[in-house]
This record gives sequence, C-alpha cells and structure tokens, in this order.
Amino acid sequence: MDPMEVFKIEVTGQEEFAAKKYREIIMDILQDLGLIRSIGRLYVYVDIQKPYFALYGLLRSGIPPLTVKDVGDVLQVAGGYQIKINDEEHMADLLRVLWERYGRERVEQPARDIVIIASDNSPSELMVADLEAEFLQDLTDALVRVAPEGFRNRRNIMTKDSFLFIAAEESLTPEMVSEIKAKIREMENA
Amino acid sequence: MLEPVMFTGGLYKHDLVVELVEDLGGYVLQKNVTQTEIILLILVPSEDMAALQALAKELRSELVRAPLAGTEVAVVTPTLAIHHLPHVACDIAEYLRRHGCKTNMLGMARGVGREIAQIDEYETALINEHDAAVFIFGNFQDCIKKKESLYRNINVPVVVTGGPEIDAKDLPYAFDYVPSIGRMAHRARKATEIGSLDRIVDAVGRALDKTRAAIAKDPLTTSPPRIMDAVREQVPDIEFSYSPLPIALNLTGVRVKLPYNDYKDAVKAVTFDEGVKLGEIAAIKPSRMKDYILVRILSASETGFVF
Repeated sequence: MDPMEVFKIEVTGQEEFAAKKYREIIMDILQDLGLIRSIGRLYVYVDIQKPYFALYGLLRSGIPPLTVKDVGDVLQVAGGYQIKINDEEHMADLLRVLWERYGRERVEQPARDIVIIASDNSPSELMVADLEAEFLQDLTDALVRVAPEGFRNRRNIMTKDSFLFIAAEESLTPEMVSEIKAKIREMENA
Repeated sequence: MLEPVMFTGGLYKHDLVVELVEDLGGYVLQKNVTQTEIILLILVPSEDMAALQALAKELRSELVRAPLAGTEVAVVTPTLAIHHLPHVACDIAEYLRRHGCKTNMLGMARGVGREIAQIDEYETALINEHDAAVFIFGNFQDCIKKKESLYRNINVPVVVTGGPEIDAKDLPYAFDYVPSIGRMAHRARKATEIGSLDRIVDAVGRALDKTRAAIAKDPLTTSPPRIMDAVREQVPDIEFSYSPLPIALNLTGVRVKLPYNDYKDAVKAVTFDEGVKLGEIAAIKPSRMKDYILVRILSASETGFVF
C-alpha cells in the first residue's frame, strides 16, 4: 500500500514495465531518505522519446522550526537559565546558537546534558535548526537520485507546498516546461 | 579434460588438497583465504575427480562445479554513480564470482543517457581483453535498443541485461538479453530476482562455451593454466604482486600483474619442458589494465604445433 494519498506515474510509448519499476525505485529512495511521510501527492510524467523526466509533488503541512524548548527542558535557576537536554541529536546546533546569542563566556556546560546560561533572557524560543530547510535539501537529493543518470539538465521549482522537478538530456526550453506543466495538470484532474 | 571445481573448507589441512591436485596434474587457479576458511578454484582431470571428492569428504568441506572458472568477465555499467551502483552491478558481479569466474566491474565515463551515451576506444579495448561482458541497462525499452552503439564494436560476446521484456532478435549485436533486472534501488533477494541472476550466469556460460567451441576448431598451442604455472615458477617476483590474483586467466591467455617494461623479457623467456619459450608461442603485449602484461597464446595454425 502506498503511504501517499495519490501516486500516479505515466510514461509515453510501450513502457509499462518502466512505469511499474520507477514506482518501486521512487518508493525505495524516498523511504531510504525518510521523506515518504512528508509528501502527500506525487505525479510523475516521463517522455522517453524527447527525452525528459518530470516529478510534481504536493507536500504535507510545513514542519515547524526546532526551538530550544523542543530539544530540552528550560528551567529558571539562580543567576540564569538551565537547559536539560533530552535530544542530543542537535547538540552542536544548540551550542552554536547559544554562543551566537549570549557569547561563549556566558554559556557553561557542567555536564554532558546540562547547559547553564548566565542571562535574564529565556532561551526557550531560540531556533536551533530549520528542519524545513533540511527537508528541502534531502528532497532535492532524492529527486536527483530518482531521475535517470543521463538527464543532466535539471530545473527544480519549489514553492511552500509543492515542487516541480524536471530533468532532461537536452536544454530545457520554455515550451517544454509549459508542456510538462499542462501534462501534469491533466494528470491531476483526471 | 580438466574439470573446473570450487573447494570451500577450513584452512586446516587444505595443503593436502593443493598437493593432491598437483599430483593429479591439475591446477590451482585461485586461492582465497578468509580467516579460517579457504576457497580454492581448481582445475582437475575429470577421470580423477573421485579422488578429490573423497579427500573433500574426509576434510568435511564442500566441492562444487564452477563452470565459469578460468575466465574473466567484465560487468559494465553506464557510470559509477549511485543510479547504477551498488545493488544491481554488485549483485551480478558477486553472483558470477560464486560460479567461479573472475569479474571486473567497469563504469563507463560517458555511458549515460539515451542520445548522449558513448563509449571510447580505450574502454572498448579494455572490455575486449575479457572473455565476455555483461552490460547493465535500465528500465526503458527504447533506451536499451538505442544504446546498442555502446557494444557494437566489442569483439567478445556481450550479454545485455535490462528491465523490460525485449525479443533478443531486436538486439542483433548482443549475444543474449536477460530481462527483469533493470535499475533497482534495493538488493536482489526475492526468488524471482535471484532467478534472473541465474539466467545471467547461464547466458554467460553459453557465451563462453561458444568461444571455447570456436577455439577448439583451431586449438591454442598450449593451455592458459599451463602458462600460469610456468610463469609462477620462473618469474618468482610475481609473489610480490599485491593483486589478490597475480595471474588472471582468460580463455586465450593470461594477464600477468607485473609492470610491463620491467618484466616483459622475463615473461618472454619463460621456458617449458619441451624447450619452447613463451615468447615463441604467445604474443606478449601491454595490457590496457594498469601497467600489466597481457599474454595471448597463438593458435596451432600460427605456430604449427600443440603441446
């Protein structure tokens, strides 16, 4: 069963096998990179005679940025704030952000999972990592991996809630892009 | 008639096997030690197989026929990028190895795409040094047909693999076409996928048999394993070659993994019991692979004798 709401794939010519196989490849790659839950709908259109390869996807609701209170418990203590880290994965990012905000001399780490800040301003709302940007990076990586290797002329149009990725062997022309957009709209409305 | 077999067993007492093979007039082609295990690729006279089988049984080891032993096959992918490697190419190469042949994986520099795919003279020559080649293509029927130009100039039999079902007649330059492989992003583990690998091994086996039949019409002056043995004995520096297989066997000769300029004369001077020198019965050429020495045995029609 597909975890996506819609996953359509269309290949021109007598290429039913390729359509079936590319469905598997796309699923494998998205699963490998842990992206499959973030994509709601996916439309793939391939014209192998031209040749080009296009993917259009709708993203599920945006991922909020990771703040200090998401990675640990913030407590007010005498002379400042104490952060008890629960999620060590973003430790390096957290320290970097705190150093930038308060300066190294006011950030102390007496134990592996404790950080004390000598300041009156609470750090809880500080942004540790922009998960959305990381997700978009991973997504671009996945799209490049999915498209056939020889298709080196690429265009990636990303908006807040969708992406359109086109890869072709020859230079991309505005006509080609509008043709692909029309085809994908057709698939969406079918 | 020499029978190719693969011996898998413990390291302990394996020298008994090596001694027996030598006494029977056979050859040890390859020796792979993995901690306490050893894998030997052996050529043994078929009439003496029973003796080897009895010894293998006594040592509680396994002895299986390795039909591709003593051959070298190129596994060719359009590039070395993540799109083509590792799963499909490595699975095929490993599977061929398990049947006894030596595989070399080769990624082309510009083999990608449908219109833009190309192969250069060096790559063609390198593939031609092998006994057969397996070309791994993708899932689009149209591309597989179009990419015929990549192997049109290759002289050794080429087995093409890809995804869709294509009639082998549509690919006149290929020896055979094996479908249902194509591009994959996972390892071959289902029974159907393993079945496809078996079909590749089968196709490669038939391709090699065809070459063997062609050689039999005008036999080689001597057999490649015999040259391997003589070179190993008379060019002792081969022991210092860092390659896992210092002398690689082909159907028509051997590749000696020593620098060409320094050792070509030593290899030419290798003498057989009959008093013939290797330089007289074989062409000694620089190999396209690194700086190695390629030995190609001349046929009986060129030298006028067989020994």
